[in-house]
Amino acid sequence: MSVVLSVRDVVKTFGAVRAVDGISFTVRRGTITGLLGRNGAGKTTTIRMITGVFFPDSGSIEWLGSERDARDRIGYLPEERGLYRQMKVREHLLFLAEIKGCRGPAVARSTERWLKRFELWDKRDAKIEELSKGNQQKVQLIGTLLHDPDLIILDEPQSGLDPVNMLLVRNLLRELKEEGRTILLSTHMMAEAERMADEIILVHKGKVVLSGALDAVRDSFGKNTLHIDFDGDGSFLEQLPEVKRAMIVNNAAELTLIEGADPQRVLEATVGHLRIRKFEIASPSLEEIFIEQVGAETMESIR
Amino acid sequence: MNKMFAVIKREYLQAVRKKMFMFMTLFFPVLMAALVIVPGLMVARGLGGKKVAVIDGTGGLRSSFSHHLAPVIPDPKKAMSGRNRGELPQSLDVDYVEAHGQRDLKAVAGPYLDRLNADKDSGRRLDAVLVIPANAFEGSDAKMTFYGRSSTDIFSQERLGSISNRAIQRQRLAARGLDAAAVDTLTREVPIESVQLSRSGEQKKGGDANFIIGFVFAALLIIPSFIYGLETMRGIVQEKSERIVEVLVSSMSPRQLLTGKIMGVAAVGLTQVTVWLIIIAAAGTFGAASAMVAGFNVSQFIRPMVFVYFALFFILGYLTFVCIYAIAGAACNTDKEAQQLVAPIQMVMMVPWFVMFAIITNPDSSFSVALSLMPVYGPITMFVRTLVSEPPLWHVLLSIAVSLVTIYVFFYATAKIFRVGILSYGKRPTIPELWRWLKVA
Repeated sequence: MSVVLSVRDVVKTFGAVRAVDGISFTVRRGTITGLLGRNGAGKTTTIRMITGVFFPDSGSIEWLGSERDARDRIGYLPEERGLYRQMKVREHLLFLAEIKGCRGPAVARSTERWLKRFELWDKRDAKIEELSKGNQQKVQLIGTLLHDPDLIILDEPQSGLDPVNMLLVRNLLRELKEEGRTILLSTHMMAEAERMADEIILVHKGKVVLSGALDAVRDSFGKNTLHIDFDGDGSFLEQLPEVKRAMIVNNAAELTLIEGADPQRVLEATVGHLRIRKFEIASPSLEEIFIEQVGAETMESIR
Repeated sequence: MNKMFAVIKREYLQAVRKKMFMFMTLFFPVLMAALVIVPGLMVARGLGGKKVAVIDGTGGLRSSFSHHLAPVIPDPKKAMSGRNRGELPQSLDVDYVEAHGQRDLKAVAGPYLDRLNADKDSGRRLDAVLVIPANAFEGSDAKMTFYGRSSTDIFSQERLGSISNRAIQRQRLAARGLDAAAVDTLTREVPIESVQLSRSGEQKKGGDANFIIGFVFAALLIIPSFIYGLETMRGIVQEKSERIVEVLVSSMSPRQLLTGKIMGVAAVGLTQVTVWLIIIAAAGTFGAASAMVAGFNVSQFIRPMVFVYFALFFILGYLTFVCIYAIAGAACNTDKEAQQLVAPIQMVMMVPWFVMFAIITNPDSSFSVALSLMPVYGPITMFVRTLVSEPPLWHVLLSIAVSLVTIYVFFYATAKIFRVGILSYGKRPTIPELWRWLKVA
């Protein structure tokens, strides 16, 4: 698969803070790449360098495979919505396309198509400020797609969305991927990334701590995780010598085992205490991997 | 280029659709015109008329206090100023009381003085009472007394005083045996007329109207700059606070964006001026008569060249101000912060307005010349100079050049501050910080 974007050793400092400290990664065509990390890890700064809002202090950002102006190849959905409140929906969308160098009947047609698809066609002449937040979000999303970008960059696209709109965004991302589009998805919601991403880049304190194809990353951590559903009091699971970390919520437990531990021993230990409904040996979740990677110090701050 | 055009188009359409634009475009000139015409009309229509009583102890001044002819349509020019200060203006309605031989003038005046504070609607109310003593002709220490409700009615006091004095002088001359015709000849005042002699040999008359027109044009020039400057500032702050700017800057360079914005706002200004000039031209055709009613021969001040200068200096002044406001907008995160930042700058920018009186009355003084060649102050001062005087062409050209350089420098600075400021979401930068941005960006 060909590479669309290559980011190499970019550094950005704000005063004494190194917001981005030598990040490198590539985005391959037709994939959803998850840019993951906690708030303040440097995700948005990285994205702003890719979109040309900031210049990196050092390092390079290289666009490949097309002669188009880099700015026109991006469809960018910023973390906080950015729309003119006073403008009308359709007028605004045409403006967003125009500043990406697209105008004319083709754009008008695709605007209509998208508005109809998102059930906003009735509201085409409403002012942005008259729309609900979810609808504004949809308009902004359409705005990132109209000029047929090579790379769609979404910065926390689901923040502040209700479950219905969240599902809508999720489905849209899947669909865009099926159409062969390339997406860079920045998020701090690990479960969301796990559902969507083909590849992940895990950023912490301005550095990439882990990257690669999601499956490969998970496999590399081995099958050291147990998912157990049970009836009874499972709190003792935490105390078992094989268990390194445990997350027990109601009647389900996710256990991370110490290296070389035999899952069978855990199963044996439950006999007589719990009634097992499900027992699964799996790769760790992204959340597990994330915690593993960013280490105890982060765990401390969470607790 | 197309992207910039998209921004120009957006800025323009958004601005001209606003109610503010409609108001400024259509209502503002009307308001300004009203400022000129209404006072004249008010006096002419008797709104400024005064009812006065004259208690004449000498008993010989009746003829001076009665209108020989009462024209149906009052002449506003005479109503306002009156060429001959000895004449009774039509705005004064005099109740003449002959009190010759009365011992106690105070007793005669008493009932009239009471009427000063009579009910307004009773029709009995007087605005002033003038008492002329019996010994006014010969007594060296004779004093007339003017009673008014307000101590500020200088106009009536001064006018009644000069009418009485003139009448008294005529009576004294008549007492020496001069006949009426001789008295008229001896006491005739020679009127004075102000003529502005321009370089081209053209003559213009009536300096007092020029004064008001100077103010009106200065207001037309300066007020929209402030209003649209403020709008631009708000627009930029809004783009920042709502993160629209991230979408914009990820699509074009900040310079393209800023150029587009300022050109869009300039186009709005140009539209405004064009509409105004059309309105003025229409008014010149249809409404000149109404201006005439107010006593001003407008056409002699508003020469064709004035329109050219107006459009030119409007755009120059406008762009300068818009750039200054754009800097404030780019540097701040909220309207409030931005307003605090521009408030002192605004005062500095207002200087020509505060000294407008001095500029209009002395358009060619070294102060006016200096101001008209300075950055920021140049456009408005130079325009007013071209309006009321005829400054040398090189002054005009130099002023234009200075303005162009100023706009270029401001634009350059704005672009740099814009580059850094649009994405710094902190507190308002200090002036030294702004300076650093200028150098860093």
